[in-house]
Amino acid sequence: MSDSLNVHFLSRKIHSLTGVVPVGAFLAFHLWENSMSRFGGDFFNEHVVRGIEHLLNYKLAIESFLIAVILFHGIYGIVIWWQGKSNTSRYQNGSNVRYLLQRLTAFTTFAFILWHVWSTRVAGGMDPKIGADLFSHMQRIFADPINVALYIVGIAGATYHLANGLWLAAINWGLTTHPRAQKFCLYACAGVFAATTFLGLHALWGFNHRFF
Amino acid sequence: MTQEIQFRIKRQDSPDASSYWEEFRMPYAPAHNVVSALMYLREHPVNAQGQKVQPVAWECNCMEEVCGACTMIVNGVPKQACAALIDDLEQPIVLEPLSKFPVMRDLQIDRQKMFDALLKVKAWIEIGGGHDIHRHAPLISPDEQDVRYHFSRCMTCGCCMEACPQFHQESKFIGPAPLAQVRLHNSHPTGVYNKTERLHAIMEEGGLTDCGNAQNCVKVCPKDIPLTTAIGELGRQTTAQWFRDLFSK
Repeated sequence: MSDSLNVHFLSRKIHSLTGVVPVGAFLAFHLWENSMSRFGGDFFNEHVVRGIEHLLNYKLAIESFLIAVILFHGIYGIVIWWQGKSNTSRYQNGSNVRYLLQRLTAFTTFAFILWHVWSTRVAGGMDPKIGADLFSHMQRIFADPINVALYIVGIAGATYHLANGLWLAAINWGLTTHPRAQKFCLYACAGVFAATTFLGLHALWGFNHRFF
Repeated sequence: MTQEIQFRIKRQDSPDASSYWEEFRMPYAPAHNVVSALMYLREHPVNAQGQKVQPVAWECNCMEEVCGACTMIVNGVPKQACAALIDDLEQPIVLEPLSKFPVMRDLQIDRQKMFDALLKVKAWIEIGGGHDIHRHAPLISPDEQDVRYHFSRCMTCGCCMEACPQFHQESKFIGPAPLAQVRLHNSHPTGVYNKTERLHAIMEEGGLTDCGNAQNCVKVCPKDIPLTTAIGELGRQTTAQWFRDLFSK
C-alpha cells in the first residue's frame, strides 16, 4: 500500500496543491470580499458578512476543513524549511532571493493568520456585539496605525507567498519546464501578486480612509 | 601587471581537524591558472610569513575542465581550478574547498556522495539484457541530440550542489546533477527501459521533490547544463508516474 502510494511524494504534492486550492483560492476570495469595505458599514455588514453566512452553507465543515488544510500546509512547510540552508549572501540571483522570501513570508503569514483569525472570527464568535457589526470592529482595529502597518505586512506577505507559490507549483507539477516558460509564468505570478495586494490594500482603505 | 600572485587558502590538516586560513605569495608569470599556481606552491611550500609549511593538498586530473576533480571555491565561486585563469582573478585569490562535502585535507574533498547518487538513480544504459540494445544506432533527431549532448557533458564536479540551498551535509537531497542524468537516460532509446526505476528512485525522500527551485544550480554550472529544465521535465514525468503506480500496480 505505502509502496504504490509513495507517502513522501504524495505529501509534497499535497503540500503544493493545498497552497493553491483551497488556501490560495480562499485568500483571493477573502480579499475580494473584503475589498467591498469601500461600500461602507451597512452594505458590508449586510451583504458581505451576512452574505457569506448564507453563501457558506455547511460553514462549520468548511471552516474546519480550511483550518486543517492550513495547519497541514504550515506544519509540513516547517519540515521543508528545516531541510534547506539559505545562501543568498553568496548567490544573489532572483530565484534564490525568492526562495528565501517564500520561507520568510511563510512565517509572517502563519503568525498573521493566527492573530487575524483570533481578533476577527474568534472575537466576533465570542462577542455577539462584535459579530453583529464587524465593520465597526475592523474600523476600531485600523484606528491604530501599528495595526494598519501589521496588516499591510501580513497581507503583502500572504499574497507574495501565494503568487510565488503558484510559480513554484507550475514547476513542481511539470507545467513550466523551459526557462522561457518559467519567465513568462513569473510575469503572470507578479500580476497575481499585484492584483491580490491591491485588493488587500483596498480592503484596508475601505475601513479607514485616514492612512491611504 | 602585478609582480606577484597572492593567495589566501582555507586549509585543514585532516578530516577531523578545524580549518584555518593561510596566505601565500609567488612570483607572477603569465598564463597561470589556479592549478598551475598550486603546483608552484607545492614546489615552494612557504607561506607569506616565510615559514616552511606542509604543501597545500588539492586534486586535479584532466586540466581541461572536463573531469571535475579540481573543483573548489575560487573567490567565492565554485568552479574548476584548472580553468580559473590567474589573469582574470582579483587578488588576493581566495581558495576554499567545496563546503557541502566532507573535507579530506585542505582543498581535497570526499565526493562519494555524488557517485552514490548516480548509482541510486541508475545513471547508465543497461546493455547486458536480452532486450534490443539498438546495435544499429537508433535514429535521434539533431535537435534532441543537441539537448542530450548538453546533459551528457556533466562531469559530476559538484558546483550545482555547492550552490544549492537544499543540498548540504545533513540533507538527504541528491542534488541537481543526478536528476539531470535521469532526464538524459530516460530519453535514451535503450535507457528508457529503466525509466520507471529511475523515476521511483527520485520520487523517494531526497529526490526531486526536495528541490526548492532556488535555481542557483543552472547559474553556476560550468557546462551550461539546463538543470532547471530537467527538473521541470522530471516534475511532469514523476507526476505521471505516481498516477501510473496508483492505478496499475
